[in-house]
Amino acid sequence: MTDSPRPRIVSGAKPETGHYEEFLDHPAHFLYRAWQECGELAEFDLNGVRHVLVASADIQEAIFRAPDEQLSTSAPYQYMVPVFGEGIQYGAPLEIERQQVKFLSNALRPAKMKAYAQAIAEEVEAFIADWGEEGEKEFHDTFKALVLRTSTRCLMGEEFRRTLSDEFGALFHDLEEAISPSAIVDAHSGEAAFTRRDEARARLQTMLMQAVRERRGSKEDALPDMLQTFLEARYADGSALADELIPGMVIWIMFAGFHTSSNTAAWVSLELARHPEYQREVTQEIDEVYGHGEDLSFTALREMPTLESFVGETLRLHPPLCTLMRQVMQPFEYKDYVFDVGTILVISPYVSHRLPDLYPDPEKFDPHRPLPEKVFASIAFGGGKRKCVGNAFAFLQVKAIMTALLSRYELSLVDPPETYREVMPSLILRPSSPCMLRYQSRSTTT
Amino acid sequence: MKVIADLQLCQGHGMCENEAPEVFRVVDSGDGTYSHVEILDPEPGGSLRTQVEAAVRFCPNRALSIEDST
Repeated sequence: MTDSPRPRIVSGAKPETGHYEEFLDHPAHFLYRAWQECGELAEFDLNGVRHVLVASADIQEAIFRAPDEQLSTSAPYQYMVPVFGEGIQYGAPLEIERQQVKFLSNALRPAKMKAYAQAIAEEVEAFIADWGEEGEKEFHDTFKALVLRTSTRCLMGEEFRRTLSDEFGALFHDLEEAISPSAIVDAHSGEAAFTRRDEARARLQTMLMQAVRERRGSKEDALPDMLQTFLEARYADGSALADELIPGMVIWIMFAGFHTSSNTAAWVSLELARHPEYQREVTQEIDEVYGHGEDLSFTALREMPTLESFVGETLRLHPPLCTLMRQVMQPFEYKDYVFDVGTILVISPYVSHRLPDLYPDPEKFDPHRPLPEKVFASIAFGGGKRKCVGNAFAFLQVKAIMTALLSRYELSLVDPPETYREVMPSLILRPSSPCMLRYQSRSTTT
Repeated sequence: MKVIADLQLCQGHGMCENEAPEVFRVVDSGDGTYSHVEILDPEPGGSLRTQVEAAVRFCPNRALSIEDST
């Protein structure tokens, strides 16, 4: 193994912490610099642990196709265990975790999408009902509030959604705050954010267990929400998912779809406001398919190539998750390189979506850009067996939100364009605050 | 036309089955992990072309492809 070549090492490492401080500052920007300096393979050091950033469709494919036993997802994501709970996802053995992912995917089947589309449409319509003719809003927070409603409704049903309190959102906020670069290093240090995370997790367990007990005791027919799917879930050996684990499943699926979708809706709105010419195209398509008597849920399920490409291009430049990690458990070969056990391989959608051979003039926002031929070039949702199983649901959600919004309003920037920046206070890429946009009724603008 | 599925990409979402049930079926993997697609008719007739193309397009994992022999 010693005679295999070694990737180039990113400059600027400090004696003990390596590149940790720069990574901490803005993971996506650090990784982009690493790629610019080193190319396809860039080695860096986070507090003594060897990481290699990889960026090409070929190595992305090799990694996404490698078995879990060789490249582990669980090992580098142990900092999620205190968020979702012991016995859930990476807090469970591999064969259990794989089955739990299937429970999630069962909750997202096409047959269920109709019911979700209906629920999302109702929530979106109600949410914007009192927006009036025009106004200005902070779109990051606005979509967080909206997606919290749509997600809880699809997950936990109408009754839970009706009693949704500010507390629920605040608890999720405390969980999110603990997903930081420092959690990668030690998720159990005495940091205040981790204490708040543990308190929030305990409180959510209590709230959600109550909902589970109420549902178990309900005499009504089975409801078309995700909670019901978890209540009915069976492992391959026939055993049920223990009730105490159901809150963890809910937090997991909620977490996976909350900030990712709300941020994406915010980025989509921001890009629409930045590009009035593309906004007109998207609006035109919406007018063609929506508003002829069909309801919003029907429209959101339909094919809308212009809007979908626009969302796709938004996800290319602003992928919510910027670091996808795998830990080498058995030596992993790529070209002449051999990656030793313990090395962490990092795939960054933020970097990979800016490779000029796959995306010419990469910084240019162009919704007409053709999708690269290579399946593993476009990785906002990851790839292979571990690709995000919620990707169709995410599109449904964002399409419903944007259709409702654009059928009524035109969006424009409030502040100078250069003041809208991309920031990473946690491991999720989001627009800087405040992300102020103006909305104006289309009946008054046309 | 020939229909090909890359099972390393398939997560059993079932969009294909939804579009073209004559050609695709989602089957249990037997080990509790993801279901996956089974191609019932690997060389469907041209009358199914529209449905099969929709299935390919709607696959969230781009696991399906059509190969045309000329």
